Amino acid sequence: MEKGSTDPSALVLEIMRMSTEDGPGLRTTMFLKGCSLSCRWCQNPESISAKPEVRWIGNRCLGCRECLSACPVSALSCEEGITVRRNLCTGCGSCAEECPASALEVWGRRMTVEEAFKELMKDRAYFGTDGGVTLSGGEATLQAPFVKALFTRLAKEGVHTALDTCGACSTEQLETSCEQADLILYDLKESDEDLHRRYTGGSLKLVVDHFKTVVSLVRSSRLHRQVWPDQREKRLWVRTPVIPGMTARRDNIQGIARIILEHGEGLVDRWELCAFNNLCRDKYRRLGKAWELEEADLLPAEEMDALVQAAVEAGADADLVHWSGMTRNIKE
Amino acid sequence: MNHQDEGKTATLKKPTNLSDRLRRLRDYYFKGVDRPWNNQHISFTTGTPWDMQYNELSYYIVPETYAFFQTFCSSFAQIAETVSLPQGFWDMSLHERRAWFNREVMVNYLPQEILPGDLIAGGRFNMHTSACLTEAEQKARNRRLYGKKGLRKETIAFHNHGYGNVGPTSGHLIPDYAAILEKGFSAVLKDLQARYDALPPKEKAGRPGSRLRAMIIAALMPVEVAGRYREEALRLAGEESDGKRKAELENLAEILTRIPEFGARTFHEAVQSLWLTHMCVMADENYPGAGLSFGNIDRYLLPYWEASISEGMDREEGKEILKCFWIHANTAYDSMIQVGNQGITAGFGQLFNLSGLGPGGKDMTNQLTWVFLEVIDEMSPILEPKPNVRLHRNSPDDLLDKVVEMISSSQGAPFLLNFDERSMAGMLREAKTAGVEAFIHPDNVHDYASVGCLENTMVGNDRSGTVDCNLNLLKAVELVLGNGKSLVPFTDTITGITEKSTRESPATGDPKAFRSFEDFWRAYEVQTRFIIRKITGLYDRGEETRKTYHPTPYLSTLVRGCAEKALDITEGGPELNFVTVEGVTFATTVDSLLAVKYLVYDNAFCTLEELIDALKNNWQGYETLQARAKNKAPKYGRDDDTADALASKVMALWAEEVWNYTTCTGRRFRPGMLSWNYWVSDGFILPASPDGRPKDQFLSNAICPSNGADTAGPTANANSVGKALGGRGVGGDYLDYFNLLPNGASHTMSFNPSLIKKPGNREKFKAFLRGYAENGGTALQVNMLDPEVLKDAQQHPADYRHLLVRVTGYNAYFTAIGKELQDEVIARISHEKV
Repeated sequence: MEKGSTDPSALVLEIMRMSTEDGPGLRTTMFLKGCSLSCRWCQNPESISAKPEVRWIGNRCLGCRECLSACPVSALSCEEGITVRRNLCTGCGSCAEECPASALEVWGRRMTVEEAFKELMKDRAYFGTDGGVTLSGGEATLQAPFVKALFTRLAKEGVHTALDTCGACSTEQLETSCEQADLILYDLKESDEDLHRRYTGGSLKLVVDHFKTVVSLVRSSRLHRQVWPDQREKRLWVRTPVIPGMTARRDNIQGIARIILEHGEGLVDRWELCAFNNLCRDKYRRLGKAWELEEADLLPAEEMDALVQAAVEAGADADLVHWSGMTRNIKE
Repeated sequence: MNHQDEGKTATLKKPTNLSDRLRRLRDYYFKGVDRPWNNQHISFTTGTPWDMQYNELSYYIVPETYAFFQTFCSSFAQIAETVSLPQGFWDMSLHERRAWFNREVMVNYLPQEILPGDLIAGGRFNMHTSACLTEAEQKARNRRLYGKKGLRKETIAFHNHGYGNVGPTSGHLIPDYAAILEKGFSAVLKDLQARYDALPPKEKAGRPGSRLRAMIIAALMPVEVAGRYREEALRLAGEESDGKRKAELENLAEILTRIPEFGARTFHEAVQSLWLTHMCVMADENYPGAGLSFGNIDRYLLPYWEASISEGMDREEGKEILKCFWIHANTAYDSMIQVGNQGITAGFGQLFNLSGLGPGGKDMTNQLTWVFLEVIDEMSPILEPKPNVRLHRNSPDDLLDKVVEMISSSQGAPFLLNFDERSMAGMLREAKTAGVEAFIHPDNVHDYASVGCLENTMVGNDRSGTVDCNLNLLKAVELVLGNGKSLVPFTDTITGITEKSTRESPATGDPKAFRSFEDFWRAYEVQTRFIIRKITGLYDRGEETRKTYHPTPYLSTLVRGCAEKALDITEGGPELNFVTVEGVTFATTVDSLLAVKYLVYDNAFCTLEELIDALKNNWQGYETLQARAKNKAPKYGRDDDTADALASKVMALWAEEVWNYTTCTGRRFRPGMLSWNYWVSDGFILPASPDGRPKDQFLSNAICPSNGADTAGPTANANSVGKALGGRGVGGDYLDYFNLLPNGASHTMSFNPSLIKKPGNREKFKAFLRGYAENGGTALQVNMLDPEVLKDAQQHPADYRHLLVRVTGYNAYFTAIGKELQDEVIARISHEKV
């Protein structure tokens, strides 16, 4: 928020158009940079830091070394490929600007609400009645004034809005972000307090408390609608990342099922179990980070089916639970 | 890896629900050269020593054939069967001679066969018939083609220098078939006779009389051909021991007694009449189905379908008739069957449209639309006829469901999608620009249809000569950089001789002296005007030759305006007279201009002189600059308003310039964008371009962004295309839609199969199509390709004989296209999101 509250800005990681995965219909998903958790399976490690970051894509590099002299703080070196000294790099982007091959790119650019709005509206024609815009992260609620202002602007144009959140933020941030959201995609990842902290670095209690907050926002939106029929109604989906050796446990899924049953008040419309994949391993390499799941295999479809079954056995509505994502074919 | 509910590997689509009859007919068709008879081109001569059968003019737009012209001309002459001529033959006008000759061959020389089980008659039509020229005419014609500045030489030079290709080819129109189905040729003959009788004696003895007499002779051809097939049907019925088949043959004979002489009453009569009428056009033009299209077939066949259904025809019985029609349409491919499957270079495209907008914005989907969709689904994969489904903003949901289901169950859309609002905007703009509002106006524009692949025209009165002129817009950039000369002189690959570099176009100034991009742009404008003048001028010479020596009187009976004006269609007879200049290499051109601006003027990464040097050296030694051009310069196709603004400027410049030219036959030139396969082959001719493309790499296809440039996804790609055509706004050509290209523009997009095959995603793909109707172009080919299948097909072509791919809205058997194009198709399996 550099320009004050009238036109808040946010650090935007990426805008993905024609997304089929972040809510109903065709959507444009905007990923904001900066996250309050650091999940060990994170698919978008570049979204965790709240600062711009430079990445180097080796197979594009020509080896011309133009970047070395472009860097004002000498953060780059070239031995076997380009190394970014992250302690020096300010994310200014001079190297990326200079690189003729787009081998250096900056993750994160600042956009105002108006700039973001203009970009997101480009696909208005494809949203139809159920598609729209999803704000994801990182953790979008950390930039709550931007989220609220952008959603307000989009809602005025009749665009469906969805917020993807893990709930690890202040209650005020959460409520501000949800105010103009038509759909909340809420992450429940782990039902054991200790494991939750170990896997994500955050508190389960906070996440569950905020789940209740969201449920109550959804409930009141529906009550309001009975009085003011033109009021928009909020919907709630839950998403659970299913990670081999971590969250892919029967007891975890059943634990989350119980959280949904106990606190969801029947207001959750969909619960999606998202199967792990390791396609993001290159991102870790480009960030110069090691990743413990680099070699982890895809889950077999049968295991995903079994977890859905476990959820149903714990009382979840069978029509509610789905799984998505890539799986391994056991025969291979 | 697999996806939920998705098979492990994509399986090839197979025909379904085929009766024994259809299975036999289909298998028989795919036997190819092993069939006892086929529809290969054979030739017939008047027997004069100067006679000519193979008309190379029709093939000037097919550069692959240039090297074979001499062979074709002499081999068809050698094998030609002599037709005995009647007394007084040479006293008739050329038009009458030609009409008589074609009729004689079709009725009395080409054998008439009916296949076992077939419900439709009409087998052979591929022929090269004598031009019927006198010695003096033949000599005069040959002087036009083979002199020092002859058309053949000029056409080949035009192509060799990277301008494109040009020539008056056949087909590419929609005859007034509906009128024949309704009233038959008896009505045509009556009309022609009345017009002839009404002529003043002087005109009767002169040109108008000769044209009408020729048309009268020609209009007898299909009626007499039907008579021959009737005799054959009766002969076979007499020999038939199976009672059911005997009855079928007798019924066929009965049908052939009535049509196409008189109007059809039943669905079977209508389909049979349509086939015979259509088949005779291919005979008349000596050209098999090149873009000879059927139009809005589910509209004009509907009354016959309804009549037959109400009289007890079983729905499947009706489909069976259509499926036989399908097999017949494919026999056009027999043309050069011994040379092999022609794949993408084949000049066919018997297109039909389904659904679409009707009067008052009404959707025209009807029960027959569904029948056709089922037949397509059950017959595919098969090449002909080619379906094109017309969509619009209010297309019914169940139609979209079916379309998406068919796309997902096949290797891609088994049809092209045409988008009505944008297409109709182009037709109305044409009406206004050319002053033909009497024939195209808001109350009839919904009657438009597509020919060939996607080229929009009116129906039954319009030969817009689509694909006759194919212009590489990029040549103008090269001429700016060379100050009126080619950048790299042409070297003949056969002789190895390099031409001297000579001035080809106006000098637009030494590029070194350009101080700004505006200077560059002004030079580009001059060169663009030059290449348009050049292609239209060369076309007109071919047009004049065709008009003088190659009439098609039978086709003229099927196009409104010809009888009225007593002019052959080749003389400008139709009510609507246009020739389309198809702009090729659009995105490569736009991206090249963007790169010049970015590299030279905005960022001074190099001087224009250095850039020219880089291009002359095919980027060798300029790799960093090339990388900047490729990766950093803005590109069309990303929904980037600044880049797309230049695209619009390029479009407006060339599209508006084209309208300034008219042929000697009164045909106004109009713009369109269809690249056929030229964007592949001409990439080996045009030198390196400023967008970073080296020589020998493909150019951009039709209105598509350059390969790999559309990094912002399919919606951004579609939005850019819509903007380039003119976008939407106040004062639109149709509603608020603008469209600078009345012909339309080919747009191909490849999607990862998981996008559409995943359960729940079909609604999302429908949303994409609805959005495309709002923001996109005129025509979309959706490819859904699995790279693994294609790679395997490259290795084991024998196992994938039926694997169809679609490029430029043009279907081809994958294993029959060249390796480069195969690789290109594989590389295009883009828009993958995991």
